[in-house]
Amino acid sequence: MKRHCWEIALIAAIALLATLGLGEAFGAAAPTPSFSLAWSEYPSWSTFGVAHEIKLINGKKGALGPIEKKWGVDIELKEAEYDPCLVMYGSGKCDAACITNMDALNPSLTRPSVAILPNSTSFGADALIVTKDITDIKQLRGKKVYGLAKTVSEYCFVRNLELLGENEKDYVFTNMDPAAAALAMQQKQSGFDAIIVWNPFVLETLNRRKDVRVLFDSTSIPGEIIDMVVVAQASLDQPGGKAFALAVIDTYYAINQRLADPKTADETLIALGEKFSHLDLQSMRKVVKQTRFYSTPEEGLKILTSPSTQEIMKKVSAFCVSHEIVPKAPTIGFGDKTAAPNAAFRLDPTYIEEYLKQEKSK
Amino acid sequence: MSTPSLSSLSSAPSADSACPPEPDIVLECRDIHHWFGNKRVLHDINLRIVRGEIVGLVGPSGCGKSTLLRAIVGTHPPRKGVVLVRAAGQTSAYAVEGPGPDRGIVYQRYALFPFLTALENVALGPMLHQTTIPFRLLQYPSWRQLRRRHLDEAAAILVKLKLGDAMHQYPHQMSGGMCQRVAIAQTLIMKPEILLLDEPFGALDEATREELQRTLLTLYQENCAAKAAGLPPPAGTIIIVTHELTEALYVGDRVVGLSPYWDWKAEGFTSCPGAAIVYDKVARVYQPDEEKDYDSFVRQREEIRRVVFDSTYFPSRVENLTFWNDVRQGKGEGVLK
Amino acid sequence: MIRKPIPARWSLALGVLSVLLLLAAYTGLSLWQHHRNPDDTTIPTWSQLGAGVKQIIEPNARDGQRWLVADGKATLIRLFLGLLCGIAGGIVLGLLMGCYPVIEALLVPPLSLLAKEPPTAMLAVFFVLVGTDTEMYVAMIAFGILPTLSQTVYLGVREVPAELLDKASTLGASQLEIIWSIIARAIFPKIIDVVRLSIGPAMVYLIAAEMLVGDVGFGYRIRLHSRLLNMNVVYPYLAVLAAFGFALDYALRLLQRYCCPWYVSGEK
Repeated sequence: MKRHCWEIALIAAIALLATLGLGEAFGAAAPTPSFSLAWSEYPSWSTFGVAHEIKLINGKKGALGPIEKKWGVDIELKEAEYDPCLVMYGSGKCDAACITNMDALNPSLTRPSVAILPNSTSFGADALIVTKDITDIKQLRGKKVYGLAKTVSEYCFVRNLELLGENEKDYVFTNMDPAAAALAMQQKQSGFDAIIVWNPFVLETLNRRKDVRVLFDSTSIPGEIIDMVVVAQASLDQPGGKAFALAVIDTYYAINQRLADPKTADETLIALGEKFSHLDLQSMRKVVKQTRFYSTPEEGLKILTSPSTQEIMKKVSAFCVSHEIVPKAPTIGFGDKTAAPNAAFRLDPTYIEEYLKQEKSK
Repeated sequence: MSTPSLSSLSSAPSADSACPPEPDIVLECRDIHHWFGNKRVLHDINLRIVRGEIVGLVGPSGCGKSTLLRAIVGTHPPRKGVVLVRAAGQTSAYAVEGPGPDRGIVYQRYALFPFLTALENVALGPMLHQTTIPFRLLQYPSWRQLRRRHLDEAAAILVKLKLGDAMHQYPHQMSGGMCQRVAIAQTLIMKPEILLLDEPFGALDEATREELQRTLLTLYQENCAAKAAGLPPPAGTIIIVTHELTEALYVGDRVVGLSPYWDWKAEGFTSCPGAAIVYDKVARVYQPDEEKDYDSFVRQREEIRRVVFDSTYFPSRVENLTFWNDVRQGKGEGVLK
Repeated sequence: MIRKPIPARWSLALGVLSVLLLLAAYTGLSLWQHHRNPDDTTIPTWSQLGAGVKQIIEPNARDGQRWLVADGKATLIRLFLGLLCGIAGGIVLGLLMGCYPVIEALLVPPLSLLAKEPPTAMLAVFFVLVGTDTEMYVAMIAFGILPTLSQTVYLGVREVPAELLDKASTLGASQLEIIWSIIARAIFPKIIDVVRLSIGPAMVYLIAAEMLVGDVGFGYRIRLHSRLLNMNVVYPYLAVLAAFGFALDYALRLLQRYCCPWYVSGEK
């Protein structure tokens, strides 16, 4: 009898698995194509998380929110820390990711990528914070400056040195996680006289320690650090790929409209800031100022088509090569696929244009 | 509570004794009482042991034999009373305060240090007793020299105990009998006044046990020979705790019985105040090569069984304590002669 | 059939076979990935891995350092200092707890609580308390392994039969001698065992901390090159880590066999 019990249990388990498997197979055969977007908490990227929270889209796979229904595509949100987002995107574990223009270059070498939507630019969100006694950049020569190596932090630091006419070799950029660096400075640990970090750590540090100040920040290099949504070319070429791009664009501008509308602005701002940091509304207003949103399609188009962006991308690419962030410079293209068929990384305004056309035709 | 008649019986013969040579007392337990919380274990233990003896200590299991032994060893001092030891050739005794090299012990289990070879186990005692950690570390060359002497000494004792081939084996590589031999060697190297064996052969098979019993008799023979020559006994005095009456009668020249079944009501107690010594008589001495004569055991064994082990028989404490009278009357054999 | 022994040659052959299968599976996976995307770096081919290894062991063009040497030195110093402090502290505390009930009553409750706290979760606490220099790594490893280690030592001390200790004192041992010559020796092989088990967690804590605050070291390099998708650098680093852990473990086993022949053969 006991043995029969086992057999029955085994058969039942197999039957159950088979049913589940078949269900999965049928589920995959459902008409709505699904694409995944990896994002991390950051003012302009948390918009996607907020869109899920207020049910504009449903970030779960196989479930559709109103925007997804409108475009006939399923957006799967994958939230992770920034580093894992990069790795996920680079290794092809997601179709699209929220990353910076600088960090998009390396993955594009092995996975041709398209920037479809610029979200924001750092305008003070990356800053070099120093103790009060340091008034001139020259005082930092030979001293350790802490920040996450080979990221926008280092870029911002090196670019500012260039603008100030300083030689990068005179300075010691030392790798440290921005959270840890900010904590060390807030604690007044010895040796932490200069850190270059991004938000929320800039604001936190300035709020918690009154005897430090910003020596320079990303306001001196406006538009050079661009936060954007990058999609793999291969994913865009799949059926529904374009609809996915348009749905992402739609979602982003929908949240921006809520931010612009006085009725929903504060509540959306708080929602954006909730997980990003425990900063209050006042600080969040500052954050949004320092992370300058490209809040309208027109602004987005301007970035993707402006000649200065092309110059910036060249500069960023050269920096990445000289700092061994990329093994070789990727070819960077502008315009749609026909305009730059061989580009590894392409800044393509046609998706926002298409979105505008469809919105106007309604 | 005190019983003067008892002390006169169990103590040494007074000066007016008929037997002229004053017995050479090596160990005296005086008025020992012990208890754990509410549990009374030992009651008024008075015991004097002659130098060179082998005493078989018997009693029902759990009666406090090991407790008495530990009190003598000094690792677990008694709640009340005192243990006195008199070194060979000394006129005055000293009270025991904690364990010391003058009293060696062999346990039934865990007799050896598992991380040392047989030889190292035996040489451990001199090392611990004669040297300190700073000496061993700071005066390494002198320590090396001394160590070599210790090892030679240990080897000699092991050879004497027929363990010459097993010197470099670890305890787990040796049989139980070999381990107990090493354990005996471990205590002998300290030249103790008293050697306490706590059911040493309880876990061994019959043949091994008999072999080890013969070993003890050989040691006893040496004691007798030394006494005849007016020397201190080389193997010291041995107290062997055992639940085997035959073993006690075979190896001992004296059997002491500890029992909770005595007539405490007659002494005015309402509950048992603990085990007392209810039996103390001489026993026949065997030669190591002598055939065991079971018939001769029968009478005394039955007597002990009744007096010490029978839980329905409550004898008076004093009626079977005839050891000193026996000795006085010349009934003692071996070193008691 | 169950537990039926197989010839030694077979088990060796099967072991080799399983490793070969693993390598073959990897080769297949990377070929397939490169068939799909010739530029892939996430599952590098053997030649890409070779280039990665070259990059690791040759002096770097920018800073002139050999990465493996620089990282290895930093990580090893941190690891050994941390292990040293943790082990020494754990042994001393464990011995004291096992020998003296006062210290036992004092230390067992906090240590059993701390033993359940994963140090990686307390990273920020360590930054706050000891900064971010070498002391931090050392403190983190030491505090990470100390509770478990001291508890194991403490239980080991308690398992030493009372008879042995009594016996040693009848042989004239002082308290210090009982602790040093009897207890410490009796539990030495157990200490080696628990040290072997501590190496894994110690490396976890160290790598996690290095990933966050290191500017040199295995954790730093692995995080950086994961972000840059240079898996041909990451995989060799992981292999070196595994080989290092294995070698350390093996060395400790040899030490145990050499120093405590009574224990190893006693296990059989």
